[in-house]
Amino acid sequence: MNWKDNAVINAVKGAGYTLVLLLEALGHVTQFWRRRRAIFTQMHVIGTQSLPITCFFMLLIGMVFALQTGIEFARFGQTNLVGLVIVSAMVRELGPWMTAFVLIARVGSSMAAEIGSMKVAEEIDALEVMSINPSSFVVMPRVVGYALMGPALTVVGTLVGIAGGGIVANLQLGVAWADYLRFAERGAEPLDIYWGLLKSLVFSVSAAAVACSNGMRTSGGAVGVGRASRNTVVIALTLVVFFNYLLTSFYRMVKLFVAGVL
Amino acid sequence: MSAGSYEIAVSFTDVSKKLSGRQILDHLNFEVCKGETFVIIGYSGTGKSVTLRHMVGLMRPDEGSIRIEGDEITTMSRHELEIMRRRFGVLFQSGALIAWLTLFENVELPLLEHTKMSKKKRAEIVQQKLEIVNLWQDRDKYPAEISGGMKKRAGLARAIALDPDLVLYDEPSSGLDPVIANEIDKLINRLRDEHGMTQIVVTHDMDSAYTIANRIAMFHKGSMLQIGTPDEIQTSSIPEVQHFITGGKEGQVSRRSNTAIIRGMAPGMLSQRSAEAMDAKEAEEAEAAVATEEPQEGYVLLSEEEAAKSESPEPEPRSLEPEESHENP
Ligand SMILES: Nc1ncnc2c1ncn2[C@@H]1O[C@H](COP(=O)(O)OP(=O)(O)O)[C@@H](O)[C@H]1O
Ligand SMILES: [Mg+2]
Repeated sequence: MNWKDNAVINAVKGAGYTLVLLLEALGHVTQFWRRRRAIFTQMHVIGTQSLPITCFFMLLIGMVFALQTGIEFARFGQTNLVGLVIVSAMVRELGPWMTAFVLIARVGSSMAAEIGSMKVAEEIDALEVMSINPSSFVVMPRVVGYALMGPALTVVGTLVGIAGGGIVANLQLGVAWADYLRFAERGAEPLDIYWGLLKSLVFSVSAAAVACSNGMRTSGGAVGVGRASRNTVVIALTLVVFFNYLLTSFYRMVKLFVAGVL
Repeated sequence: MSAGSYEIAVSFTDVSKKLSGRQILDHLNFEVCKGETFVIIGYSGTGKSVTLRHMVGLMRPDEGSIRIEGDEITTMSRHELEIMRRRFGVLFQSGALIAWLTLFENVELPLLEHTKMSKKKRAEIVQQKLEIVNLWQDRDKYPAEISGGMKKRAGLARAIALDPDLVLYDEPSSGLDPVIANEIDKLINRLRDEHGMTQIVVTHDMDSAYTIANRIAMFHKGSMLQIGTPDEIQTSSIPEVQHFITGGKEGQVSRRSNTAIIRGMAPGMLSQRSAEAMDAKEAEEAEAAVATEEPQEGYVLLSEEEAAKSESPEPEPRSLEPEESHENP
């Protein structure tokens, strides 16, 4: 067997394992009440503790985005429209995936490392021999915590980003608050908001699944833990941009359908 | 399910297992009787932990049959394995405590997951188990806050929380100071004598093996090279067994000084040594050597060169597997 075969086979195996693990964990969601303490802990680690960094990121992204679009719109005397562009981009695109990026960097990598350390220290085996299913005890609370907090952070992050855009629009571009808000309102309709949340949910669940799966498959001590963490970041980011493209394409089709074109 | 009337607790019949292209278990055969302490010795990285993993169904053999109290486990479904595993308590090499739970919660975990006991009843049992291992006063600490030896003892408390019939130990005394290692040995003997537990212990520590074992099995090249009582193993005529139990120190440097180094005694003290630690013949020989040879300078306080010479080279290539580093770096 050459390395190429192995790489492909391993990738397929890894993907299969991840999917099965995710489904198993989702099957254990029925135990959420029993595991509520673990879920709350995860929600705290994933959500509350990531809030400051997410807000900081989204604020600056909103500000830069306003500046950039402001420069272009000024050429056509349409600076008032920045609100519209910022909101539509923030709600459906920047909000969901920038939040996903921040979470993968901050939470996904450490989640994989944590589970990887458990695996290396035989804690996962210990759970197995105690007949405690790791998919229920370890994976489910993390997936659920991530799936709840990812979208929640996206909402907050998006609002902060829109606010950041507004500040720049008002102070640097000279757009009146009333104008900013008037156009901002037109930037997104309810479907857009749901779509943004759907994206965020997909990103969160896939990132959590990748992190847990890489953690659970860790072997080879500290080096293996590092590898699990690195693979998680790379794979999760790849999945996010990939799913994002799919979902945006799908969104366009839905829009066309609603408009009666399709 | 078994009626529990079997005399044999665990039996391996012609069990073979290949891992990453290497034959780790090769027609492995042995039986463990109910109520005995069965000690498995053998070189590092040869497959003793793999043997234990087969026993609890964490690994499945390529061939062969493994029976636990008469039940064939190699073909069990995941669900059946989960039920079967409740008969086991396992102490892993590093304790394998859950990092985000306190010692109390760690020991409580199996009770919480598998019984419908009241909180009070659970607390009682946890207290009882933690007192056995002398950790009740540390119940609110997290695993990261305690030493390796304490982790192992807490792991043992957790392993026996559900009063299992069978307890497996993977190197219970490695990385522990002699006093605590000794305490674990006493505990193992207590569990056998007072609770009638069947125990299987993987260890490198021969002193401990002689203290706790009803029978000792030497694992070598995928199967049991010899199984016998501690006496039989000590007087074994099989070179590999002798090599292992003496730490490979035999016949390398002059026998006399070597003996002194192993035992940590001056040559004149040899005769006072307890008979069970070394066979009488060996002691006589060593004593005779002392008598005939002229004591040299720096005899007890060996020069570094000599000490280095007396260190045995590794008997077998050690695996570089990370699991071999048992203790915190
Ligand atoms: N899951 C595994 N995959 C591949 N090889 C393994 C696995 N587990 C153990 N091994 C290999 O099997 C051999 C025996 O390991 P082990 O049973 O841990 O040795 P020990 O006798 O020291 O307990 C080692 O060389 C190890 O590399
Ligand atoms: Mg081992």
